Amino acid sequence: MTGSLRRGTTIALALAVLCALAVAAAAGARGTASASQLREGGTLTIGLAEEPDALDPTLARTFVGRMVFLSMCEKLYDLDSHLNIVPQLAAALPTVSKDKLTYTIKLRTGVKFNDGTALNAAAVQESIQRHLTLKGSVRASEISPIKSVTTSGANTVVLHLSAPYSPLVSQLADRAGMVMSPKALAAEGANFAQNPVCVGPFMFKDRVAGDHITLVKSPYYYDKSKVHLASIVYKIMTDPSSRTQALRAGDIQVEDRIQATDVPTLQKDSKVSLIKSVTIGYQGLTLNVGNKNGVLKGYGPTGTAISKSKQIRQAFEDALDRTTINKVVFGGLNQPDCFPIAQSSSWYAATTKGIPCNLHADVAAAKKLIQASGLPTPVTVHLLLGGTDPVNARLGQVIQAMEKQVGINVVISATDFTTSLNDATNGQFDTYAVGWSGRVDPDGNIYGFSATPGTLNYSGYSNSRLDYILNGARKSLTTKARDTLYHAAMQVIADDVPLIYLYHPVDYFGVSKSVTGVQAYGDGLIRAAFAAYSK
Amino acid sequence: MGGFLLRKAGAALVVVFLSSVLVFAGVRALPGDPAIALAGENHDPAVLAAVRQEYGLDQPLPVQYVKWIWRALHGNLGLDNRQLPVAHTIVTRIPISLELALLSVLVGMVIGITAGVIAAVRRGKPSDHAATTLALVGLSVPHFWLGLLAIILFAVDLHWLPSGGYVSFGSHPIGNLEHMVMPALVLGTGLSAVLMRQMRSSMLTSLGADYVRTARAKGLSEWSVVGKHAFRNSLITVTTVVGLQLGQLISGVVITEVIFVIPGFGRLTIDSITARDYTLIQGVVLVTATGYVLVNLLVDVVYSLLNPRIRVS
Repeated sequence: MTGSLRRGTTIALALAVLCALAVAAAAGARGTASASQLREGGTLTIGLAEEPDALDPTLARTFVGRMVFLSMCEKLYDLDSHLNIVPQLAAALPTVSKDKLTYTIKLRTGVKFNDGTALNAAAVQESIQRHLTLKGSVRASEISPIKSVTTSGANTVVLHLSAPYSPLVSQLADRAGMVMSPKALAAEGANFAQNPVCVGPFMFKDRVAGDHITLVKSPYYYDKSKVHLASIVYKIMTDPSSRTQALRAGDIQVEDRIQATDVPTLQKDSKVSLIKSVTIGYQGLTLNVGNKNGVLKGYGPTGTAISKSKQIRQAFEDALDRTTINKVVFGGLNQPDCFPIAQSSSWYAATTKGIPCNLHADVAAAKKLIQASGLPTPVTVHLLLGGTDPVNARLGQVIQAMEKQVGINVVISATDFTTSLNDATNGQFDTYAVGWSGRVDPDGNIYGFSATPGTLNYSGYSNSRLDYILNGARKSLTTKARDTLYHAAMQVIADDVPLIYLYHPVDYFGVSKSVTGVQAYGDGLIRAAFAAYSK
Repeated sequence: MGGFLLRKAGAALVVVFLSSVLVFAGVRALPGDPAIALAGENHDPAVLAAVRQEYGLDQPLPVQYVKWIWRALHGNLGLDNRQLPVAHTIVTRIPISLELALLSVLVGMVIGITAGVIAAVRRGKPSDHAATTLALVGLSVPHFWLGLLAIILFAVDLHWLPSGGYVSFGSHPIGNLEHMVMPALVLGTGLSAVLMRQMRSSMLTSLGADYVRTARAKGLSEWSVVGKHAFRNSLITVTTVVGLQLGQLISGVVITEVIFVIPGFGRLTIDSITARDYTLIQGVVLVTATGYVLVNLLVDVVYSLLNPRIRVS
């Protein structure tokens, strides 16, 4: 009895420790030093894996640019560690009219841009209008349902929509929600990227193209007591090995996305800790169901086995062993899954409930499906790989070997990423190994790829029922209604297989143990604005 | 001499013009729609159209070429993906690569020529074998591997030198040398191996020549024979080799700059291609081609100064 009690206590303690670890891992934070243990000042150098493009929220396209913006350009809304949308420059979540066409956003008061001018409704109005109208704006399509922007008093912005659009708030939690200083816009015009001014804990100091971007602590920030560092330097270090060695040598304190082969080395380094972050993106295979003439150019059968037969597509999926792919190709570092929404998302449970997800291959079922298709074996399927690196090659070879077992002959065609995108856009593929960086709102991970008007619908998939469901989800505002609709959408996709989701990438970031407060959420971005050196 | 220079300069201009056409056509011949690459993850038709318009990709190719070359002739190579002027970026990067290249050539020449002379003078002796073996190793070891080994040893383990990066000489001379010593040694190693072999071979030929025998017969000291007669003549071949090694040096600079995170022209080249930054690629390749032509022109001139028979012929 005593022994069992002791065992129970031990188990309870172990569970408590595990829970604590899980909570810490979920937050993806490095260090929890108290304020008295933090040192004021110092420069934090972050080694970025790629170079950001224009530092202009309206024109910016790169993923890595978002990391820099996080420290210098705050948004109307932000994400918390659980990827919930929370107010940032807005005072609260927006008030939505009954017809879902008017969003009223109240702003924080007493906020200043990093040039000392005040943030107000007129500034927000100007920024959103710039996003909508500036030549070359990448934001325009993200917030296209906004018909007009008006102000109501000094601190309230009203967005008027042409049609209900529930992902709007999630868009305003990204670059479309960044507010630029009207004074800087007037001064810089189209050259805003060369001297960007927003609201943020840090402000732009300089940029040496291809080398670094320096931000310094803002004297105007509304919450500057939380900012400890004097400056942040984003150093462009495209070679992953050099990045890792620089972290080990102490030349940088944070390493962006460590390559899989360096993870064991850094795990053994006593001066470095790793942040693991399961991203909201996914990697998978797009199957060409009806893309004969190009994306958005009318969809119909392409004549290939993959296009003709749903059974072949299902067999193709059943032959894949996601666990083995993760183990063999990625050293077990990623998270195998069957859905476009990551498990770290609050949408996951309700939208995937009850939909089968087999992480292991079902060779017998796949063979039966091929037999049922009536097509002679081996069925030849071409696989387009968007990269010629060893990891892509291994992925192709593993898929090829798995499909061979069920009578599908996979012919691999590897090319550089841009060419593969071009081929995919033009419908010149059977299956295409490609991923998506992920969006917080489910719409961002599904609509563009599976709805008939989707701009990334390489699959050429057109299903009126799915379109109806996805459009309905865009118009619905309640979580419950959207859960139900996205669940229905997942069922359609799982049954018709225009896409096969393989895994959610897991990012590893390296952080020097001398630094505390660096975080990485599921969106894959490093958050270091409130980091500090330990005393 | 004037006619010789004019002929060479005229030929160089033609080569630069043809290079500009090839660069422009080559970039356009790359597979894939540049607008898709430039648009990032957003492939909305409106975004793609805006990108095409912004970069002039919606215009006929000859129009695009004329506009580009006209602007280039006025020193404007356009804006890159970061909305930064390409010409300014290139101008700021070239001195960094030149510094690295010069230091590497210096390292290569000091080590290579010294080792080559010693190996030739002491032919068949252990120092000759050691120099030849080291030259073989220097030629065989890839820069990126040697670079990584050097970083692990001198930056990670010993903490003697920074693992990479760049500090300008003007702002911090000591810091600049600290950052450049490892890359220059790594890059210079390959060149020193080539120069050592070349110098040894040239010196052996010179030392066996009639004029050296005559010099010795006149009773000149060995130092005078080797230093003033054999060495000077051997330098002609080595000068040519340094010129010919420029291509190798450029590719070495590219890799070394990537490994040591030096924001030089080489890394700019790689980054522009990786990012499919078409405006930047065009600018970088045009400047490279022009630089290559100019260096070859310079080598021709130096060669003709060292050996007057060349300009006469």
